[in-house]
Parts: sequence; C-alpha cells; structure tokens
Amino acid sequence: MIQRFFCKGKRWLSGIKRSGNWPLFPQSSLVARFVLGIATFLLVAGCDRAPDGRTHVLIWHQKIGGERDLFNEQVARFNSAHPDCVVDTLYKENEELRNLFVIGAVAGQGPDIIYGPADNVGVLVTTQTVLPLERVFPEEFFSRFTSQGIVSWKGARWLVADQIGNHLTLVYNSELVPKPPATLDELISIGQRLTKDSNGDGKMDQYGLTWNYREPFFFIPFLTAFGGWIMDADGHPTLDNEQTVRAIQFVLDLRDKYKIIPKEGDYEIADMLFKEKRTAMIINGPWSWAGYHVPNGSMVAPLPINSATGLWAEPMISAKGYSVNSNLPTPKLASVRSVIAFLTSAEVQTEMATKLSTTPVDRAVLDSPAVRSNPTLIASMQQIEHGRAMPIVPQMRAIWEGMRGPYQLVMNGAITAKEAAKRMQKEAEKNIADSNL
Amino acid sequence: MLSDKNKIRIFLGVLLGPALLVILSVIAFPLLFNFVLSFSNANIYHIRDWRLIGYDQYVSVFRQQLFWSILLKTVIWTLVNMVFHVSIGVFLAVVLHQKFIRGRAIWRVALILPWALPQYICALTWRGMFNYEFGAINLLITKYLHLPPVQWLTSPFEAFLAVIITNIWLGFPFMMVIALGGLQSIPEDLYEAADVDGASKWFQFWNITAPLLRPVMIPAITLGVIWTFNNINVVWLVSNMGEPADSTHILVSYVYKAAFNMYRFGWAAALSVVIFGILFTFSQVFLNKTRATESVY
Repeated sequence: MIQRFFCKGKRWLSGIKRSGNWPLFPQSSLVARFVLGIATFLLVAGCDRAPDGRTHVLIWHQKIGGERDLFNEQVARFNSAHPDCVVDTLYKENEELRNLFVIGAVAGQGPDIIYGPADNVGVLVTTQTVLPLERVFPEEFFSRFTSQGIVSWKGARWLVADQIGNHLTLVYNSELVPKPPATLDELISIGQRLTKDSNGDGKMDQYGLTWNYREPFFFIPFLTAFGGWIMDADGHPTLDNEQTVRAIQFVLDLRDKYKIIPKEGDYEIADMLFKEKRTAMIINGPWSWAGYHVPNGSMVAPLPINSATGLWAEPMISAKGYSVNSNLPTPKLASVRSVIAFLTSAEVQTEMATKLSTTPVDRAVLDSPAVRSNPTLIASMQQIEHGRAMPIVPQMRAIWEGMRGPYQLVMNGAITAKEAAKRMQKEAEKNIADSNL
Repeated sequence: MLSDKNKIRIFLGVLLGPALLVILSVIAFPLLFNFVLSFSNANIYHIRDWRLIGYDQYVSVFRQQLFWSILLKTVIWTLVNMVFHVSIGVFLAVVLHQKFIRGRAIWRVALILPWALPQYICALTWRGMFNYEFGAINLLITKYLHLPPVQWLTSPFEAFLAVIITNIWLGFPFMMVIALGGLQSIPEDLYEAADVDGASKWFQFWNITAPLLRPVMIPAITLGVIWTFNNINVVWLVSNMGEPADSTHILVSYVYKAAFNMYRFGWAAALSVVIFGILFTFSQVFLNKTRATESVY
C-alpha cells in the first residue's frame, strides 16, 4: 500500500512535469485515501465495539504466579460463556499499575477495570480516576460481601474485592519447624536453633528467619508488636516515639544480636532462601504461598505475639479487588458490570480459596465448610483477626517514602534506632508538605 | 491554477505531513507541555484542576539541598562513566583493529554482548551479583582476594560504586563499536608513511589515530553524556529505586520518583526542564568547542 502510494505520487509528479496540468484524479484519490484512513482510524479507535462486533473489556491487574494462572483460566471461561463480550487482561507490577492507570485515566484513557490492593484507592479517588461503584452496581449487589470486601472512602464505594490478600503471615517449613512460634521469644529461640553453619566455613548455611527487611511494609508487624502505628486519625505521621525505636531495635537485634536473619534481606533473596530450604521461616503474604507449596511442605501461621507488651505482631490488612475507570463509556457499563460480577462471584471466590488459599470476602463462601476446614485459610483468617486495616489515604505514599530511607540507614548501621525514628517522622512530614506544592 | 512549484510543495507536504505530525505529537508537544507543567501546581491533589503558579516549583527545586547533592552525584556519575566507556571502548577497538588478533569477529561479538543484552536483565543480574552474602562479587573477593565482603547495596558509597560498575560494563561496547568504525576509515597509507619515518606506535596513536577518530568520537561522546546523564534504568534497577536512603539517585531517577512515587508533577516537570537546560547547554558548548561537526580531511 505504501509502495502504491509512492508510485502514484511519482506518476503524479511526472504528469506535472509532462503536461503542466493539475492531475485531478490522482490528487483527489491521494487526499481522499488519506482522509478516509484517518477517519476510519478515529472511528475504530472511538468505538466501544471492536471490529469483531464484540465488546472488549480491558483489565489491568497485578496478579502473579499461580494466582495469575487461575485468573486467566477464569477469564477464558467468562469469554467462552459470553459471545458478545471479550475480557482482555494485562499484567503490570503494582507501582506501575497505579501510576500508569492514573496517568492514562487523567488523559481520558486507560483500561476499563483496574485490579489491585485497597491502598491504591486513596490515590485513585483523589485523582478522580475511578467511578463510585454505586454508579455501576445496584445496592443489592453489595449485600453478599463482608465489610472488608467493599472498600469505601469519603462516603462512596470504590473497590469490590475478590479476596483479603495483602496481609503478611509467618510461613514456616514444617520439616524444620514442627510447631510455629507463638511469641517473639519463641521465634528467636527457634531461629537460633535453626541458624546453622553446617560446613564450618564461617558462613551460615541455614537461617532461622528471613523477610524483606528493606521495605517498611514488612516492618509494620514489628511496629505494632511494640504498640506503634504509622499515623493518627487525621493522617499525621506518628513515628517519632519510643514504640518505633523499640521496634527498630528489635529488628536490628534479630540480625546483629541473635543473628537469626541474613545480613541483607531484600525480597528476592528472602524468597529464594526459603524456596531453597535455606531458611526455616519467612514473613510473606498470600501471593507467595503457591510458590512455597503451602500446605504441602510449608505451612502458614499468624505472626507471633510480643510477650513483653502483650501485643500481637499485626500486619496491615487490605482487600484486593476491582475498580472501574471514570472514563468508562456508558455503553460498556453492562459488560463491565457482568465481568466484575463474575470475577467476584461465589463460584470464583470458592475456586480461589480452594486452589490458592485466598481469603474470600463473599459471606456464603467464607462460611462454607470448604473454607472453614482449610488449615491454611484458618491460619490466614486468624492473622486477619490480628491485623490492622491499611489506611487508604493518599498520605500513605508520603509516609512509606519517609520511612524507607531512615529504615535502610539504620539497617546499614549508619544511624541509631532513635535517630531513625526521628528522621522517619521528619521525612514523612516533609513529604506530605511537599505533596501539596 | 497552481504552478508546478506549488504542486510539488503540496505533494512534499503530503509526504512530510505524517512524519511532521508524529514529531510534533511525540516530541514538540510533550516538551512544551512539560514546560507549561513546570510552572503549575500539578500534584496528586490538583492533577485535574492544576493552574499556573509562576516560578514556585523552580524555587523549590533550587532551594532543596538534595538537588545540589544529586546534581553533583550526577556529574560524577556521568564523568566517571564516560571516562571508562571511552577509554575501554577505544582501547578494545584499537586492539581488535590489529591484524595479528585471531578470531576478531568472535571477539567483537563477545564484547558487544553487554550492549546487545536487555539492560533490564543485565541490571538485575548485577544486582544479584552484588548481594552481600550470596552474590558472586563478594564470593570472589572473599575467596580469591581474601578480603572482607563489601556491603555493595546497603552502604551509600558502595551502592553508588556498584551502579557505576554496572553501567561501565553496559556502556563500553557502544564506544568500541563507534571507534572500530572510525578506525576502519583511517587511510592505511598514513601509518605506512609513519612507519617509514620511524614513528613509534605510541606516536602514531596520538598523532594519527586520535585526531582522526575525533570527528567520530565527539558526537558519540556527546550522545554518551546525554544518555548516561539520563540513564534511569541502571540506577533504578541496580539500587532498587535509589537505595539506600535515596543515596544513589541521579537527577533523572529523582525526577521519576518525584513524579510517579510522590505524584509531584509540577515539581518533577521543573526539575526536568533544569535537566534539559543542563544537557542542552553542555551539548552546544561541547560541540562548538570541539568543532566536532567540522571535517578533518
């Protein structure tokens, strides 16, 4: 086609040279084709229905591993049962997912549906990039969900979940740890027993415990075990206090005093060590369980209680689910409604609970014998009982960023725990102030 | 009735139009939009209803202490990388250009590999190799050099060094390829004449090779500086978003963090304009001073 276009242009030019007349036909054909092409493109791009006549619904998600495989199976099932609608899915890493969605949606683009953790809601609502779900579903739709299954903020519902799936738990290798630790003291003693230098080369061949201790999200259970929390009810950081100092010092002691965790602990290394059975216990979330072959070989248990304070090591709890792009064209609403209804249905949640051990948010599924008799889910639900809801306010971003730097510095030994707590507070406050400029 | 000249102009316009449209939409518009955004209060709270607020974002950029330390770090990052890219690249090119080297084609392919591999994969592999306990680098250091392991990724200086080492490894093949191309265009007669005059190889390098490579290398160095100055991939992936504690950021990774982690779009746009200004000034001054666009023949 391109070649024909250029050949025609060449002939037209040679025609000019030969006759000196305006060659009407080729010119009008060229312009007409160009205009027609642009018009067709705009027409197709602007259509809700694709050229195949089916309504395409695009979902951006952050499901990984076994969860993604099952998700793709479920989507394929939906597509085969709905000849008039096609669900397309695209994986994006969580940070990228949120950022690109915001940018796309602000520009009037982006996917029809976004799937992610509830803490994205603060950013998505503040940037007005998602629709209140009351405009998508009738009121009776929400009644089958538990209170954690529907994420509300500022008087509207924004996310409908298919699971509570962002909570950290203790995962342990049942060959090495017959009974999980109930207290932090037990965690230390089991960790010390299982941290070994088998070949005597001065390097540990097996550690008692590991987790991604470079990320503040993984620090939260320790913070709560010492009575701390990240913000007050107004969204102001509450990090410069004795509780934070004690929690940081405890993590430092696990590494430097009790020596039960590796010298460096990013996510990939921790994950690899546990998969290679070179660490007895790991702190990780439900997204990782399939990779650890839970419940065959590895088991899940709630994070221990701190006997010194009487407080549980409470991780942040949040639902994961679907939100709808604020740019969704009205003709697509019915299709989007049926897609989300299917992907959060009792059938899908039961399948996820039995195959992936995710915690359902459908009341009937949650009370079903299949869920109530599943040991992994029982442990997971115990953890959820001993967890704290993850704040969804946009200040969370600023607080995470404020915590990350000092937390890493204290783990390097560059600053003390007290200095780290002070800096966390200062940087979180600065980040919140900067966000307003 | 249109003249032939005008008809040709119209036809050329039709041909060039689509390309011009693409350039305007992917280069000119974003540049202009970024410039406008840098004078605005666009952030997470005002992403839809942002308004122009004057020079506030620029004032904030220049007042921030971290900006100056990151700027200094970016200059060091660029300089160190370029020195190693060019010296290793030219050295290897000169060696590979020698006729006595056997299997030159194989060596060339092997040395181009770091450049041919996806940066993403290379950076993450290097990150794994820099791990304190399980990384290949520390295993080599402790086992063969009998030195204590280095905290490559957790100490600020060492982490910055780790990022630089990775980028040197990734960047020298480009300079090598450019220098190889340049070497092949140098007439052999010049070396023969120098040999007849009894000039040493060292003398030949500095008086024939180096001046004749200059027109090829200067634009490559200019490009290299701009690419290195703006190379977010390596910094972001090896140091895991500027860790530890934002100590390995260069300006462009800091812009990314401000825009997409903190949603400070106006501020990030202002910093982007500053980076653009620095690079634009550098490239103009460098190209003029070195007279890179002038022919040497």
